Parts: sequence; structure tokens; C-alpha cells
Amino acid sequence: MTAPSLTPARARVRSASRADEPVRIVRKHHVLVRVTHWVHFPLLLGLIVSGLAIYWAAPVFRHAPTPGNPRGDYLADVGRALAGVFGTSGDPRNWLYERVSLGPQRLANSLRLHWLFAYLYMACGALYLLGLARGGGWRALLPRRGDAAEALAMLRYYAGVIPHALARKPWPHPPIAGKYNALQRTAYLAMPCVGLLVVLSGWAMHKPAMLPWLERLFVSYDGARIVHFLCMLALGGFMVPHVVLAVADGWDTLRSMVTGWSTRLKGAPHE
Amino acid sequence: MSESRRDAKAKAASSSGRLTRAVRRALEAAAERPGAVEEVPRGRLASRSRRDFLLLGAGALATAAVGWWILPDGTRRTWLPWAHDELDTLAARAGLTRDRRERALNRVLTFDDDVAEALYSRDRLVRTYTRADARPLRNNYHGRTPGPEYLPGWRLSLSGLASGRREILSIEDLLARFARHDMNTRLVCVEGWSHVVAWGGLRFGDLLAAYPPAPGTRWAAMRSEVSLDGRGRHEPYYVSIDFETARHSQTLLATHHGGAPLTVEHGAPLRLVAPMKLGLKNIKGLTHITYTEAEPPDYWRERGYSAYDGI
Repeated sequence: MTAPSLTPARARVRSASRADEPVRIVRKHHVLVRVTHWVHFPLLLGLIVSGLAIYWAAPVFRHAPTPGNPRGDYLADVGRALAGVFGTSGDPRNWLYERVSLGPQRLANSLRLHWLFAYLYMACGALYLLGLARGGGWRALLPRRGDAAEALAMLRYYAGVIPHALARKPWPHPPIAGKYNALQRTAYLAMPCVGLLVVLSGWAMHKPAMLPWLERLFVSYDGARIVHFLCMLALGGFMVPHVVLAVADGWDTLRSMVTGWSTRLKGAPHE
Repeated sequence: MSESRRDAKAKAASSSGRLTRAVRRALEAAAERPGAVEEVPRGRLASRSRRDFLLLGAGALATAAVGWWILPDGTRRTWLPWAHDELDTLAARAGLTRDRRERALNRVLTFDDDVAEALYSRDRLVRTYTRADARPLRNNYHGRTPGPEYLPGWRLSLSGLASGRREILSIEDLLARFARHDMNTRLVCVEGWSHVVAWGGLRFGDLLAAYPPAPGTRWAAMRSEVSLDGRGRHEPYYVSIDFETARHSQTLLATHHGGAPLTVEHGAPLRLVAPMKLGLKNIKGLTHITYTEAEPPDYWRERGYSAYDGI
């Protein structure tokens, strides 16, 4: 902060004047949106690892029994294939369950943890929606005219980033009018919708006798299980491009999800 | 005539105008607004950011610690075979002991049970299916299936009654005295699989009415003395059933399955069928029912599962 060549008094004056210097910022994320965004990550992780350990007890995606896989569990097949590549000291059919779930034969423990994370996840989701409402962030998530064309332009841009960087050629970012581009908008709106669906299908499985209308919404009990599993894939799968793109977008984007503000002002060129 | 038509047209036009205006107002309200630009002194911004990043870091550390503490012991051993001992010691030193974890997680189960109990209503009927939806039921009992030798001597013992007596009933008594009810309901296993099953039997509520329980009792302790463990040794199975569940019109003491008398695999000659509970409450080969004031023991509760199991 202070340069050693300055006398302490002069350094104080200089840093004080620098500290007083105004910075132009724009508020980007409501505090509830930021808090729930980060809390969401470990909760989702916990839900996935406990959920897959529950799934182990009675897989819903099954083929006819085979000698090596009497339960016909596709995830056991995937595990065996991965064990063939990476090696294992345990049962190769449990390869996946031992790594991305709490493990086979831990049903009672996994159920308790799944309920704990599920209640926290619902509370977290409700607070996120409150934050969207209070901060007005919901407006930036709504679809609008021209989204399809903008989404295509963004896909073309993303596909060209690496080749152009390697060729050291300019590759300008398409002009974006709002807070998000059409792809981000679609993804950020889809995630809360998938979140709602995962909660509904969860309750359909958890209380099918007392909430039969909810079970009917997913056609059958197994229908709810399949939807729940697919939602898990969507929520987990979202994280990969989300993290890559957020990091690629730069420090301002990452910082804004912690502090709430951005120095990228409206109308300023992107990137 | 033409005037009134013109009036109607004008009215329609003005109401469609109102609608257009309302839509336009809604779209304007939903339109993204540019964020207001603020000027903040750099020093204040920096100190606030520092605070936020420190909070994030502290939160991440706390989450990692609690996340580790909350993991099942077996999972820790699998995930970090070289560090789990040291980390466990560290966690215990910080007050995150195994005992505390078990107490905390069991509170989660109790909370979820309270939610289930709040959702439950004796008037709400469980979804029923057609006979064609019914599938052969899988016998998922973890113990060995007993041989049929016990069947001739089988009796149901009923105690905790208002009369103060112990009633001993044969299956013939039960079949002769009580009306038979048939239903096709889904049996949902805690593991996640489920089957629609065609059941037949007497209503638990009818038995409760015919043999009233002692005043003050709220629970039925249901017990099977014919149940065996995995090696074929005698191992009683027991579940707790609250009276609210027992008195539901779809809670049966089943005698039939798929139109035929129950087989030993499925709990001959009498089993509980409570489709608003998980399958593990649907005790097979029932031999004893005792009405109690205090909550009776439950086999799977003692093994880390929920006590209520309402679905």
C-alpha cells in the first residue's frame, strides 16, 4: 500500500487521497442472491452424493440381469467400464458409487443426509427467489425477442474463441445489451425451473401416498424418480460450463458474485 | 339496434384497449433496467470487498469442516484413506464428535417425521389402481423365509385391551368375524422400488372397534415371532404403528395377496398392509399386537431409519 521511499506522513496523505478517489460501480447481485449462490454449491454436492447412494439401493435405470450384473444396473456397468480405465482395488461395479456417492450399503445414513440437504436446499431456493424479487434481478432473467438469434451468435462466438486465440486473430464479443447474453439468460432461468422440478419430483417420491396428485404429475412413482435423476444431471451438468465461463469472463464477474458490485458499467464494451 | 351494436363495439374496443395497456404495463415492469451507477470512495469499496471475501473464505472453511464431520464413517475411509483418522481427531477436538453428529442427524429424521405426520390425514385416501396394474410382489425381506410348519399352530395374540384380557385368535376366527376388503395399492420400499399389489384382508380399524384398546393407549406394537434372520435363526421383527394410521380405512390386516391366501414369503397367514407407510412397516407373519401408551420399539428405527415412515 505505502511505498517505502515516502515518508510516513506523505504516504498517508497519498493513500488517503487514493482511498477517497471515487469509483463508479453498478450493483449487480442482491446479497441474498450472492449468499444462496455459494451455499447452493455444497448443498447440491451433498444432495448428489447422498442421492446416488440412495439410488444404489434400487436403481431405476436397469437392463435385463446379466451374470456380472444381476441387478441390471446401468450405473454399475458405467462403474465397471471406468474401473477398467482407472483401475480399482474394490468391486469394479461399485467404482462409481464409491467415488460420486456416499457409497454402497449406506442407505440409512444417506437418507438422513438427503433429507437434511433437501430441507436446506428448499430454504436456500426460497431465499434465492426472495433475493431475485427484492433486488429486481428477475428482470434480467426473462426471455425476450431476439433471444434465438443472440443465442446463435453467442454459440458461434464461444466456438471461435480458442481457434482465434491460437491463430492470434481478433474475435470480437457480440454486442450484448443487457446484464446477460441470451445463452446465460436461458441457463439462469432454466436452473431455478429445474430446481423447482427437482423439489416437486422429490416430494412426489417422498410422500406419494399423501400427495397423490403430485405423483400423478409425474405419471407414476418411477416417473418421478426418472425426472428427479434427470434434474440431478441437469443441475450437476450446468456447473461445468458455468464455472468455465465465469472464470473465463474474468475477475469482475467472479468478484461481483462475492461483493455484489461491478465496474463494468452499462454501455461499456464487453470484455 | 345499430346504436346498441356500436356501443358494444366501442365497449369491446375500450376493453381490448385496457387489456393492451395492461400487457404493455406488465412488459414495462418486467423490462430489464440499467443498474444505477454509484460513486463510492475506493477505500470504502476495498474494505467492504475485503470483508465479503473474508466471509466467503470463513464460510467455505466452516462448510468443509461440517461437511467432513457429517459424512458417514465408511465414506470418510473410502474417500481419504490416508487422512481420515487425523481429520476425525481434529474434528473431535473442535467439538465435532460422532455422538453429536448422530444426535443432530437423528433430529433431522424426527423433523422429517413431524412433516410426514402433519401431512397425514386419516381422511385422505391413498391412490388405488386397477387389478391389471398389480404385479407379483417381490419378497425383499433380509432374513430367511420360515417354513410352513408354524402355520397350523399360528395364533394372533392381542393385548393391551380395555377388557384387560389377552385375546388369542385363529385365522379362521378373523376370517369369519370380519368383513373382507380388497384394494390395489402401491407398496413403496425405502430402497426406492415399488409395486402395485392386490391385497385382501380385514380392516385394522374393525379389529380395534371389536377389541377396544385400553384407555390412554395410542400405539400398536406389532410383532412377528416367526421371523428369521439371514441364517435362519429366530429373530423377532417388530414395528410401531400409531392409532391414526391403524384406523385409516386402507390399513389392512391382510390375509390375501393377488386373490389367493398369503404365502409364507409374503407373511402368511396375516400381515400388516399400510400403504401410507414405507414397505418396512408392513410387517409379515404377524403374531402379536399390543396396544401401548408409550411408543413401542421399531426394528428399523434401531438401525438408523425413521420411526414414522409416513409416505
